[in-house]
Amino acid sequence: MIKVLIAGEGGQGVQVIAEILARAAFLENKKALYIPNFGVEQRGGVSLAFVIIDDKSVVYPKFAKADILAVLADRSWERVKNYLGEKTKVIEGPAITGQDKGLPVKTWNILVLRQINQAGQIVSQKNLIQALEERLAGQFKKNPELKELDLKAVNQ
Amino acid sequence: MKQSPKFPKCYKIESKPHKFCPGCGHPLVLKMLGQVIDEMGIADKVVLMVDIGCSLLAWDFFDLPTTQTHHGRTVPTAVGFKMADPEKMVIAYLGDGGAYAIGLQHTLTTCLRNDPITTIVVNNTLYAMTGGQLAPTTVDNEITATTPGGKTEFTTLRGPELLRTIAHKEAYLARGTTNKPLVLKQYLQKALEVQMKKNYAFVEALSFCPTNWKTNAQKTIERIQDLEKTFKTGEF
Amino acid sequence: MGNKILAQAAKDAGAKIMFGYPITPSTEILETWAKFCLKDKSLKILQTEDEMAAGFGVIGSCLAGVPAFTATAGPGNILMQDALVMAEALRIPMVTMMMQRGGMSTSTVIYSQEEVRLTCFGGNSEGFRIVYSTSNLQELYDYTLKAFQMAWKYRWPTFVLADGYQGKMMGEVEISNSKLPLTNLKPILTKGVNLRNCYNLEEEIGEKIADYNDEYQQTRSEIEEYEDYQTKDAKIILLAHGIVAAAVKIAVDKLRKRGLSIGLFRPITLRPFPTQAAVKILDKAEKIIVIESAIGQLAELFKAELFGLNTTLIEINKPALGFTPEEIDKQVCFFADAQK
Repeated sequence: MIKVLIAGEGGQGVQVIAEILARAAFLENKKALYIPNFGVEQRGGVSLAFVIIDDKSVVYPKFAKADILAVLADRSWERVKNYLGEKTKVIEGPAITGQDKGLPVKTWNILVLRQINQAGQIVSQKNLIQALEERLAGQFKKNPELKELDLKAVNQ
Repeated sequence: MKQSPKFPKCYKIESKPHKFCPGCGHPLVLKMLGQVIDEMGIADKVVLMVDIGCSLLAWDFFDLPTTQTHHGRTVPTAVGFKMADPEKMVIAYLGDGGAYAIGLQHTLTTCLRNDPITTIVVNNTLYAMTGGQLAPTTVDNEITATTPGGKTEFTTLRGPELLRTIAHKEAYLARGTTNKPLVLKQYLQKALEVQMKKNYAFVEALSFCPTNWKTNAQKTIERIQDLEKTFKTGEF
Repeated sequence: MGNKILAQAAKDAGAKIMFGYPITPSTEILETWAKFCLKDKSLKILQTEDEMAAGFGVIGSCLAGVPAFTATAGPGNILMQDALVMAEALRIPMVTMMMQRGGMSTSTVIYSQEEVRLTCFGGNSEGFRIVYSTSNLQELYDYTLKAFQMAWKYRWPTFVLADGYQGKMMGEVEISNSKLPLTNLKPILTKGVNLRNCYNLEEEIGEKIADYNDEYQQTRSEIEEYEDYQTKDAKIILLAHGIVAAAVKIAVDKLRKRGLSIGLFRPITLRPFPTQAAVKILDKAEKIIVIESAIGQLAELFKAELFGLNTTLIEINKPALGFTPEEIDKQVCFFADAQK
């Protein structure tokens, strides 16, 4: 079982990558359970996503300590520091580290997704890409340039 | 009880004599409604919902599918039924409290949506069943159980006028009076015809309540004639 | 998403109309149904002006013999009680999905188990209702199908009692291919039928309520459901419902591995409470620990039904907060003397 917690500001694409991860697990014939946080301060507050992936059915969507903690914005740390355990692998997004591999802001969440998958060896790259393309099919159709950039990010 | 030839055929004989007070306006309204249903030949299509208040006494008045609902919730129940079975002629029957106070948002929203139901509101300017308290249609200086010194606060709600500002142009809005039952009868008939054309219809029946008005026969008529100055009859 | 699963289940169960008012965390049920209506013209939707209109709309539709349902939460649950108690009185097969959110007034829009009392007994009545408390996505689907079946068969207002976590979490479920017809699917309000809920004399209504109660008690064994997880020989039995029970199961597995003699009794129907089964199973335990995201609402149901049971009862209450399996593990160890 792998417990992933992703945190960022509203608009950074936290929920999108959580969904892609869950979808990829499904493609890999694994089981996943994902839940967003959702408070009334939805617009512009902290956005959290809990994703649990396992070989058998996952029934409870939350956990005490994360196996992988991905933080996309510095301000979000306050909300998730309690989920840091001794063995938690931490990933910080380009907004914090400055390491954006030359890619634009709108793809940074996909960069983080790639790093999460590498850290946890969760799904195959093939399934990750397929899940990405399925989830963002609408946006990619309208904006082929975005598709190119996101694919670049996920293959970093 | 032997059925008088003038009783509407859709009356439920077992519930007669009815339980309304002597001199009440409800039986007049219901009799006119019954005659209209007979004459239009729609008894097998009519479904009646009644509110809580004096209107609840109409629950077994007719040999028609009828249900009491909760105070102010008659209109949404009628809407739900009509959505499920649009072939039926659904009538919501309420008093001024149910339609204009606790159920006002339903009255307004249903009109706004032009839901094809027929709403009949019997307006006697107070809450009769509970002993004659203030209602949205209580007029200035009227003495009620909760305005013993005469009503001074807020204005008087005029239903059809209010609804006309939001109603669909094909919706039918009218106000009759139990003082002129045959005119009221025409409005009720039109209100049902409009439902057949899939539009909203609303008829307020200005009515008397000698029990709570504490008026004798003559004073009752005088009072309703006086009320007709505030609640103008006609089609809106 | 849980809420989308609920909408799908209602459709598969045979519902034709949804009435509802947007309220988090149930709103996606209404939105999903709206999308269904675009594709399937036999379905209808009405977003009402408030929850009362939604509830009474459902009643209107059921009176016409057309299965309908609604969904709400929190403050909407309170307003819905107006219609729900009339459904109790008139025996209307009204189905409601109750997505519990934070307790007390507007609160959070997220989660709690603090609407148990309200959902089970929120009318000015004796709670002649069927309440299923689901604990995972598959159950949201399965118990919605069941809710419609049981509502139309037994004619009590029936609930799928879930919460914001279940409504918003995403995963997979198995959809049913077999569509069972609903019992006596025909109009209730027909010629010769005059229904009332207002009575004149004490005796009239007293008799009616007593009759309803007799029927409720006589048929309850056909409706009650529970889950019995590792309770055989368990010295400590945990009592939990809904998603908390899901977390408890994980904790029970861990604790058993460490040698603790422990199990879970999970009522699935909160109304009617699975009393007979509870008595049998809990009687053998030395300690019962109730775990809920409320202050004693489940414990209260339990105590009412099982008064006289001589076992030590401990209540772990965390109103409006969830329990992770790790937390349950810790709490249980605290209360349990290290028993092997």
